[in-house]
Amino acid sequence: MSGYGTPGGPTVFDPMTLPVDDNVNKYTFCVELKGSQWFLQKGKMIAYYGSMEFNGIGHGRLDRLVRTSFHSPLHASDWVVAEGSGKMLLADRAFDVNSYDLEDGNLTIRSGNLLAFQPSLALKQSIVPGFLTLIGTGKFVAASNGPVVFMEPPIRVDPQALVGWADCPSPCHHYDHGYLTGVMGGLRAMTGLGGASGEEHQFEFVGAGTVLLQSSETLMAEQATGAVPPEPGVPGGGAHTGPSQQAGSPRLPGQLGDLQRRFGL
Amino acid sequence: MCDMALREINSKMVEATIQPGQRWFSQRGAMLAYKGEVSFTPNIQGGQGGIMSMIGRRVANEATPLMSVEGSGTVLFGHGGHHVQVINLTGDTLYVEADRLLAFEGTLQQGTMFMGSQGGVMGMVRGQVTGQGLFTTTLKGHGSVAVMAHGGVFEIPITPQRPVHVDPQAYVAHHGDVRNKLSSALGWRDMVGRGSGEAFQLELSGNGAVYVQASEEKL
Repeated sequence: MSGYGTPGGPTVFDPMTLPVDDNVNKYTFCVELKGSQWFLQKGKMIAYYGSMEFNGIGHGRLDRLVRTSFHSPLHASDWVVAEGSGKMLLADRAFDVNSYDLEDGNLTIRSGNLLAFQPSLALKQSIVPGFLTLIGTGKFVAASNGPVVFMEPPIRVDPQALVGWADCPSPCHHYDHGYLTGVMGGLRAMTGLGGASGEEHQFEFVGAGTVLLQSSETLMAEQATGAVPPEPGVPGGGAHTGPSQQAGSPRLPGQLGDLQRRFGL
Repeated sequence: MCDMALREINSKMVEATIQPGQRWFSQRGAMLAYKGEVSFTPNIQGGQGGIMSMIGRRVANEATPLMSVEGSGTVLFGHGGHHVQVINLTGDTLYVEADRLLAFEGTLQQGTMFMGSQGGVMGMVRGQVTGQGLFTTTLKGHGSVAVMAHGGVFEIPITPQRPVHVDPQAYVAHHGDVRNKLSSALGWRDMVGRGSGEAFQLELSGNGAVYVQASEEKL
C-alpha cells in the first residue's frame, strides 16, 4: 500500500493504479468520482486527476442536494461539493486518515475530525455541542491524531481522546466523586495544593454501540458547527430558563464552598 | 507480572491490565480511557519511596507529575501523539528521562542517578548536550514500562565487541550493564562554523540495549 520499504524506491501512482475509495497510505485517502458528488471540508483536497468542479455550497444549483443531505446550514460556508469524474486525494496536516462505512446507521463525530462524506449520508448538528451526526448509508472520511481505536461500552473516556461514537450509546459526564469532594477535595479545589491527576472528569458511555478513540490527547482544531437557534431548551442555545447558577463551577455536596454563601453574605 | 500486563494497541497507545491490589504509576493526564473500576490519584511524592526520595527527585529535576493507578480493569494510555515503546524488564535497570515515562508497574523500583558519576566532567557535559541534565531516572526490577518518544523507536543491542554511537538528541533510554560517555568529534571545522552537525555522539558500551527514536526532536 505505501511506498516504504519497497525495493526500487517509492511506489509511483497514476490515475489507473490509485486505489478507489481507499487509503493511499496512512495519511492520504483517494476518492473516485464518476459523475457523483462528495461533500468535503474546505482545504482538505490535496490533488486530483480528471475534471472536477468544487463549488461552495449555498450555490443555487446545489440547493436540492443541500436540502437532502446537509442539515447544518449555519456552517455551510466551511464545506464544498466536489463533482465530476476523476480521482481526488484528501489529507489533513499529516493526521491519520480513515474511511468508515455506515449502513443505515448513525455516527456522531467531533466536528474537526470530519473531512468528507458521500451525499447519501445526511449531516446534522448533534445535540452535544461541537459534534456532528451522520445518518444513513454511505462512506465518510475522518482524520485523527494517531490511529483510531474502537471500543465497546461500558467505558470511560478522556474528553480529549474522544473522536466520536456510533449507534447511540448514551454519552454522559463522569466525575471522580471521591477525589473532588471531602475536606481534601475542597482544599485541593481552593488552593490547588496536592495536585490534580488530570483524570477527575471523563465521558462515560454505556449501552450498545461503539466508541471511537484517538491515540492521543492532542485535539484536532475545532471546526465551528454553527450556532444553534437561541431557543429555551436547546443546549448551547444561549437562552437560559429557570434558576441560573451564579458560580462558575458546579457546587458539589461536601465541598468547602465559598465562604460568602456559607455566611449568607 | 506476565508480559501481558502492558499491550501495544497501536504505535501510539498501550493497554494496561490493572489487577486488584496492584499499583501502577503513570504520567498525569495520560489516561485515554478505561473500563472497570479504576481510580487515579495524583502522587504528591511523584513516585515511590519516602520523603527523601521525593526531595531527591525535586533537586534532580526528575520530578515529573505522576499519578498512581489502582483498582481492577483495563486502562488505555497515550500522550501528546507520541510513539510508545513497551519495555519489559527482567531484573535489570532501565535508565530513562522521567518525562518520557508514560506508565510503569509499581513493582519496579524507582530511583534517581547522578550522571556526573559516569565519566566525570565529560559526563556532565554529556548531560548538558543530551538535554538530560545531570540526573536521570532509573527503574529496576521485574515489570513493564511504556516509554514515549518522538517518531518510531528501535532497539539496538549493545555487546562488548560492538559499542553503539547514538545522536544525543535521538537517544531515548537504555538498559543493562552499559557505560556511556560522550565522544566529541570537535574539529577546526566546528570552530569556524562549518561543522557536520554531528560533533557530539553518545557512545554506549557494555552489555544491554539502547532505544533510539527516529527523530532529533525532544519531547
